Order: sequence, then C-alpha cells, then structure tokens
Amino acid sequence: MVTQAAPAEERSSRHLLDVAGLNWRSLQKLLASAGEMQQLLDSRAGGSDALRGVGVTTLFYEPSTRTRISFEAAAAALGARVTTFNVATSSVGKGESLVDTVRTLEALRSQVIVLRHERAGAPWLAARHFGGSIVNAGDGWHAHPTQALLDLSVLSRNLGDSSGYLAGRRIAIVGDLLHSRVVRSNLHTLTTAGATVLLTGPASLTTGFAEHAASFRGTAGNVQLVGNLDEALHNADAVMALRIQRERLTPGELDSLEAYRAAWGLTEARLAALSPRALVLHPGPMNEGVEIDPNVADGPRSLVLEQVRAGIPMRMAVLAQVVAEARA
Amino acid sequence: MTDLLTVNFAEHWVVDPVAELAGVASVSIIAGKIASVTWRDGEAAARACWTAGANPGPSDPTVALLPALIDLHAHFRQPGANASEDVESGTRAAVHGGYGTVALMPNTEPAADTVETLRAAIAGERHGVRLLPIAAATVGRAGTQVSNVGALVKAGAVAISDDGSPIADRVVFRAALLAAATAGIPLIEHCEEPSLTDGSEAADGLVASRLGLRPWPAAGELRAVESAIAVLRDVVTSAAPARLHLTHLSTAAALAAVRSAQGEGLPLTCDVTPHHIALTDGWIAGDRRWAWEVASGDERLAPTADAFDADLRVCPPLRAAVDAAACREALRNGTALAIGTDHAPHSREKKEVEFGLAANGIAGIETSLSVAIAAHRAGELSLATIVAALTTGPARLLGADLVGVTPGASASLVQVDLAVSWRPSRETLQGRSINMPLIGRELPGVVLLTVLEGRLAYQR
Repeated sequence: MVTQAAPAEERSSRHLLDVAGLNWRSLQKLLASAGEMQQLLDSRAGGSDALRGVGVTTLFYEPSTRTRISFEAAAAALGARVTTFNVATSSVGKGESLVDTVRTLEALRSQVIVLRHERAGAPWLAARHFGGSIVNAGDGWHAHPTQALLDLSVLSRNLGDSSGYLAGRRIAIVGDLLHSRVVRSNLHTLTTAGATVLLTGPASLTTGFAEHAASFRGTAGNVQLVGNLDEALHNADAVMALRIQRERLTPGELDSLEAYRAAWGLTEARLAALSPRALVLHPGPMNEGVEIDPNVADGPRSLVLEQVRAGIPMRMAVLAQVVAEARA
Repeated sequence: MTDLLTVNFAEHWVVDPVAELAGVASVSIIAGKIASVTWRDGEAAARACWTAGANPGPSDPTVALLPALIDLHAHFRQPGANASEDVESGTRAAVHGGYGTVALMPNTEPAADTVETLRAAIAGERHGVRLLPIAAATVGRAGTQVSNVGALVKAGAVAISDDGSPIADRVVFRAALLAAATAGIPLIEHCEEPSLTDGSEAADGLVASRLGLRPWPAAGELRAVESAIAVLRDVVTSAAPARLHLTHLSTAAALAAVRSAQGEGLPLTCDVTPHHIALTDGWIAGDRRWAWEVASGDERLAPTADAFDADLRVCPPLRAAVDAAACREALRNGTALAIGTDHAPHSREKKEVEFGLAANGIAGIETSLSVAIAAHRAGELSLATIVAALTTGPARLLGADLVGVTPGASASLVQVDLAVSWRPSRETLQGRSINMPLIGRELPGVVLLTVLEGRLAYQR
C-alpha cells in the first residue's frame, strides 16, 4: 500500500508547502474558510483586519500574473502589510542565495513569505531557514498547492455533493503532465475528495505518469493514465487543459503546436464528445488556439474566470490559516 | 607522531580477511608490531567461522578488531577547494572512520594530470594515513587527450580516472584503457551517459515524478557500462593486462551487465557506495527508513518537513529500494569487490541551496563503516562480506599492500564496538564539511581506536 501521509503530517503547520498529506477534513476546512472569505469580500467592508500588522512578502523567482496579484489582493483584504519583492532588481541579481534572502526578509519583519521558485523543493529549503510562514506559490514542476485548492473549490461548488465531496465524478486533465506542478497538486486534492482523475497527453510529456497514477491506489479516489483525449473525455464531468509550457520544453518533446492542437487541443468539435453539462477548466495563462480554443475558453461550459475569481478567497483562507498556526 | 604502541587486545572479535580467519582472539602488540594472535578456539575453528560469514554470536565479544580500512574512492579537494576539505582534515576524518589507506580521485583544481599536482594532492599532515593518488586519465579531465600515464605512475599514481565525469569519447576511452594496461594499473571509470543525464536531479522513477525532479534515467548508467564493456572486450584481445574498474555503480541493470561480463572472464571489477546500499530516493521525500526496510509499493511519498535535503543530491543519484538491494547483492555475490565511500565534501555554500542547484556528493568516509554495520546487523551482509569490501577488495584493485592481523607485521588495525551506537553531528564529525544526510541519526558501530603502522592514529 502506498502511504499517502504519516499521521503526524495531518497536524496543521505554520507553512503551506504542499497539499500532499492533507486529508479531506483539512481540505474541507479550507473550502469552508474560503467560502467565508468570499462573503467577507462581498460584504460592505470588503475585507477585514484579521492580519493587521502582519508582514506578507511575495517573493517570486518566476513570472506570474494571477497568482502573485491574487495573493497580494488576498493579503490586503485581510489588512496585512504587503511587500512585493522584485527579484529582478534585488540583491538576488548579485548572487544572494534563497536562504540569505529569506533570512533578510525575516530581519525586515516579514512574517509570511509567498514563494514561487523554478526549482522543486525550494519552499522546503526556505521553511528550514525562516522563522515565519512559507506559502508555496509554485515550485518548479513539483507543486502548486493554492492552485489545486482553488480548483477544488470550483469543482466542489459545481460538481460536489452537499459537503463538496467529488465521489463518482470524473475529471480529465490533459496536456503536459511532465512539467506541470498544477497536475501534481491536483492529483492529491482531487483523489482526497474522492474523484476519479483521467490523465492524458502526448507520450513525451506524460513520461513516468503510469507509475505516478498507480501510486494513488489506496486513496479515496482513483487515477488512470489513458492514451488519447477521447478516452479521457468519455463520461468526464469536467476537463482541465494544462498550459503548454514552452519555457520548460526541451527539443523533441513536442512536434509542433499545430499537431498538438489537432491531437490534444480542447476544440469545440472535441467537446461535442462531452456530456452537455461537462465543464472546462484551465489554470492559466492560456495559449489560446493551442491547448484550448478561444471560443471554448470563453464558452458557456468554461469555468476559467471562476477559477481566477476563486483565487483571492482561497488565498485569504490559506494566509489566515498559516498565520493562525504561527500564532498558536 | 605518537610512540609505537604496546597494547594487548584481549578476547576481541577478530576478523582477518587476509588469512581468512575470524573468531574470538587475543592480539598483542609490542612496539607497534603484532607480537601474537591467539585464537581462542584454534585456527581451524577461525577458518570455519570466516567461511560461515565471520558473524559473531550473541555470547561473543562485541568489540571487533579489523585491519585498518581502505577506501578506493575519496575526494580531499586539495588543491583547489581546501575550504571544503584538505589532506589534513580528510585524513582526520578517515582515521575517525577507521580508514588507514585512502585513494584520492583526481578531480581537483587543477586536475591531477601532472606529477606536480599529483604530489600536491597528497601533501600535508596525514595523521598516519597512507594516501594513494589516482591520476587524471585525460589532460584536464577534458576527455580529449590521454595523460602522461607512465610518468604519473612512476610518481605514485595507483590508477587513472576522470571521476566526476565519464570519458565520453570511445576512442579516447580505449586509448586510456591501453595506457593504463601498459602502465600496469586499472582505469577507473565513472559510468554516465551525459546526453541522458544532463541537468537531471533524481533517479528516474516514482519519487522523482511525485517530487517534480528532473529524472536521471537508469539507462544513463547502463548505456555507459555496456559501452565500456564493449571497448574492454575489444582491448583485452590485444592488451592482455588491461583492467577496468567501474566505480559507484547504482542500478540493478548495470550490475547485472557487469556480472555477465565477469562471467565471460573479462578483467572487470566494480564498487558500490555506502549510500547506494543503504539509502533510497525516498529519503529526498523525507522517508528516513533504511533501504532494506522499504518494501516495494510501501514508499512514503508525501514530502515531510525534511524533504528536498540537498545533502542527498549525489551522482549517480539515490535510487529505489530494488536498486539498493541489487547493490547489496553485488557485494554478497562478488560482482562488486569493494564499498568505496565516494567521500565528496562540499562547503555549506554549495549545499545550502535549492536541491537541483546543489553540488553532487555526500561526505561519507566517517560513516561508511557504521552504514555497513547497519546492513550487517539487519542481516543483509555478513561481517566477512563488509570487512572484505572495506579491506581486501579495494587492496586487490589498487595493488595496495595489506597485511591482516598477522604476527610479525606492523599493526594497522581498527577497533570498533559493534554494540554501541553514535550520532554524527557537527561536533562528532572530523571532516571540514558535513554534507552528510545521516546527521543526527543513531548509527551502530563506534570506532574506538585506529592504529596505523604501529602508532595510534585515532582514539575515541
């Protein structure tokens, strides 16, 4: 049996490094908290001062639009002091290491660092050298916990039972699995929520995922790697297209974007195979006309903007939780 | 230099891999020389005990006396990176680990491709340790032009190698093998196919996939091994004394290829490292079980707070439990003749970084005996197997003199308490760098004394 989590990891931590190891109760708690945060955003006050005086720094070693801005908006909505660390103009350019950088930020009274990094595991290194809380905003190919949490909140709202549980639901994820931190994190949250996940993509970009999929046996859900898009879409309740990450591809991993679209793109013709109520997701940013057609992304099935909107309340919930744990 | 030692080791568990004897014995040292060895139950019983694995029984003494250990593969970083290690700190670490002889790899800066650099690599306070320099197989370890092997051997080189990288060009590899054969020494090859492994971070497999680390395929080792064997097969027909040694093999597939080639009678040997026999890639996720404690399908994959420890970044990478099992089997069945530490110290600056940006290497010379003893205590390796792999095996490869626990010989011995444990820490480790994933872990086997050439080199 694959052990998904040692019991000790079920206890909350002052960091959010990963969703691997979080049980359904922990996920539910975050979903409920995000719901409350949404109410707060919708209220006349538009926020709270729960994190007043708390220094939150976004430290992004890779470019980002929605993740960084939604973290900053989330922190501001809770009254935190928000600092954007500009890696390009900082001492990082002079060779300052990640460890030195987080120690410096601690000395400058940051209590929370929201870290994005191009290397897997960087948040674990940061967490070992930082007295406050590290929130992983994406580490290399490895994990993107808050994306998976907001995807779960959207799917639970649209497809879940009264508790948001996804038992019996089939979620297809298509594209570049190899380089995708989004799929790696979504596999944890979706299987913990009881869903069946169908993975597919070109062989060069799904290397290792047969064994990877099999390692989720023993979870509440189920993961299968299938050979083509039509098989993945069959009976799917939702399909998530992953971005072709041109910056991470090595020569030979992809023939051409046209060939990719023909085999793996979410086109209107392709979606005709789906049930009429099946939903479409994309973590963004989209290569429209490659992995997803514009009229699909903007179409009636699309949850893409709902995903973006779900980012702020979920990141509020995460920030509130890690700060509460750090204070406890 | 301390005085020549006079001491009586009464009723120890003595293992002599040279004479192939083991059992309870009393060894008396007078003025640095072994004056007498008295086997309590007689030599015939000691011979039978060696053949049965040299394992002490429950009522036998727990303090063992072994020949001082030999490492065929270490990096003392001198010249060029003395901030990470040098001869003084490296030999201090070695005697703490029970070693009396250490062969040093030539990937210094500059590479040990000249007589001057070869000598510089072993200069300094040695704490009584015998240092055997290995010369660079090619100029600058660049893989294009074979070094002046004759001159380097005359200056003391016991082997040639471009360790740290393979000699990728097969024509140059062949020429290096021939040059080594002519000089009567082995070529030690680091088997890696760079086109398959460039930029990779962890062994291809479930752990790398789950942790999003760039995969280092097993084929990256196997292809290089197969290709090296093909060249060796070709060369031995024309150059009889050619000897090829493949260092730090890590995969079941590569070890099977070596075993098969040895079956053909090719002059081929190999070694495995302490970390590849005892650790798995699961350690990168934070699973701290010994390799023999992990059943297939029982991997613990959710990263713990200890995950992504850059001290676990090593080349070749840590692998699955089945590969670690294959490394131990290779020691048992003789495919691998040695445990080589690949002691690779690195400064904090090179290791306290993101996993994929960290320098490769584990500083393991002070813990390798304990790791081997851990495998022994788990029933994985007999004491005879580990002692041979740490003494006679590497001596055979390097042509190094090794006297056993032999009356009349100058005493080079290590006294180790098999029943006591210790914890490696910044305080207990003697080397300059502590890039070592076993920090804080309780390890069996405490070195009490290391005696080299009749003098005390280390005392706990």
